[in-house]
Amino acid sequence: MAKIISMHSFRGGTGKSNMTANVATLLAAEGQRVGVVDTDIQSPGIHVLFGMNQETMSRSLNDYLWGRCEIGAAAYDVTSSLEDGLAGRVFLIPSSSDASDIARVMRDGYDVALLNQGVRELMRELELDALIIDTHPGLNEETLLSIAICEALAIVLRPDQQDYEGTSVAVSVARKLGVPRMVLVVNNNPAAFDSAEVKERVENAYQCEVAAVLPHSDELMILSSRGIFALRYPHHPVTALYRQVAACLTA
Amino acid sequence: MSEVSASILVVDDDQINRMVLAHDLEQEGHRVTAVEDGGSALEALRDGRFDVVLLDVLMPELDGYETLAQIERNEKLRHVPVIMVSALEDIESVVRCIELGAADYLPKPFDPVLLRARINGCLTKKRLHDLELEYIEQVGHVVDAATAVENGSFTAESLDAVAARDDALGRLARVFRRMAREVTAREQALKQEVAQLRIEIDAGRAATQLAEITETDYFQDLLRKAHELRERPE
Ligand SMILES: Nc1ncnc2c1ncn2[C@@H]1O[C@H](COP(=O)(O)OP(=O)(O)OP(=O)(O)O)[C@@H](O)[C@H]1O
Ligand SMILES: [Mg+2]
Repeated sequence: MAKIISMHSFRGGTGKSNMTANVATLLAAEGQRVGVVDTDIQSPGIHVLFGMNQETMSRSLNDYLWGRCEIGAAAYDVTSSLEDGLAGRVFLIPSSSDASDIARVMRDGYDVALLNQGVRELMRELELDALIIDTHPGLNEETLLSIAICEALAIVLRPDQQDYEGTSVAVSVARKLGVPRMVLVVNNNPAAFDSAEVKERVENAYQCEVAAVLPHSDELMILSSRGIFALRYPHHPVTALYRQVAACLTA
Repeated sequence: MSEVSASILVVDDDQINRMVLAHDLEQEGHRVTAVEDGGSALEALRDGRFDVVLLDVLMPELDGYETLAQIERNEKLRHVPVIMVSALEDIESVVRCIELGAADYLPKPFDPVLLRARINGCLTKKRLHDLELEYIEQVGHVVDAATAVENGSFTAESLDAVAARDDALGRLARVFRRMAREVTAREQALKQEVAQLRIEIDAGRAATQLAEITETDYFQDLLRKAHELRERPE
């Protein structure tokens, strides 16, 4: 059965979407069929990494959640936008970045349970090996649901005081929900911080495995989500760390 | 007296010639070592530091040509200028010596004025050459320093000699040394920051936040269903 992986962070802007897109692509490069669902309905973004925009998105997760279409109709095979000859496939279920759609979600909400059904349908219909959920930061209902249904959870944090407390709440919530496998990923580690040292301290503080400590990377920052880093820089140390995270989450 | 006092090696098999040359040169304020054959000359050159060699062409055993050739073949001796001294007037001999690497040629009998001019000319050239060598060596120190900065073994003192120069290279070394010191200081400050990297979590506040989330009906419902949600076979 496919593995549901949730990519989460307590705070926004920690690098979840880049992590999700790169992990998905690296798994596809190994031949897996991977689904990516953008459940960050309030501030969607991962479609940009896969070269999509509002115009190329005729259906989105929103349409499914509002009963306008089947979830499969909102799934885009983005493999061809990635790299020629990628062994596996990547399917993206984007969220609408249309301002009025976002406003409607904020106002009316949606039936969170539908999300779970949708995820199941996708896995069956697209014969997925893995499905990665790029969540909205914080711990709102859909994020709690994605934590509750996943088999593996990655919580991304930066070595920043602002991230520490919320991350501990997220870790506790995930433990209560009995997530079978949970790892932390430290992202944007400044060059001056020794990564082994950071890993040790974070593991001690949360009593939770750290899958990788990714350094701050100027190349990644300059790429500014215009593409998949791992494809652009296949031999970069950050790519090796994304691969490490992928391996950790699918082990 | 010459402007600079030099250390000069006189090589001549004729004792009178040696004495005359030594006398003239000492009068000029130079220090003179006199030897009587090529072998002793090479030995003296290997043991001591000389600024100029006055080398007789015709000598028994190791003659001036062969001695000159050996000096020029030797990496360490090559830079010492050699003035060939000979009664030979033929131009061919002069050409041969110059081709072998001699710096100049002095005919016998010695004309003291010509002797002084040749010696001074050679000394000036050698001084320039020495300066050039020193310059290249010191540029090497700056390059070494750059490598040391990269592999973290830089010590500011390693550039002291170059930094003391009052030319552009000296300025380069001083600016480089200052920048390297600044980088080191910044790195050290950051290292100290890392040592202070502490993950501070207010347990009470975190517990309150956790309770706010987990005590909702939604969460309780999710909790009941979580196991089933995950296990549900497709
Ligand atoms: N290791 C890194 N080094 C440098 N820049 C990074 C790194 N990781 C992510 N970034 C940059 O940080 C920004 C935010 O990344 P991303 O959109 O992946 O975060 P996010 O957690 O999904 O944000 P949001 O919460 O808004 O969805 C992007 O511009 C990305 O290029
Ligand atoms: Mg995002």
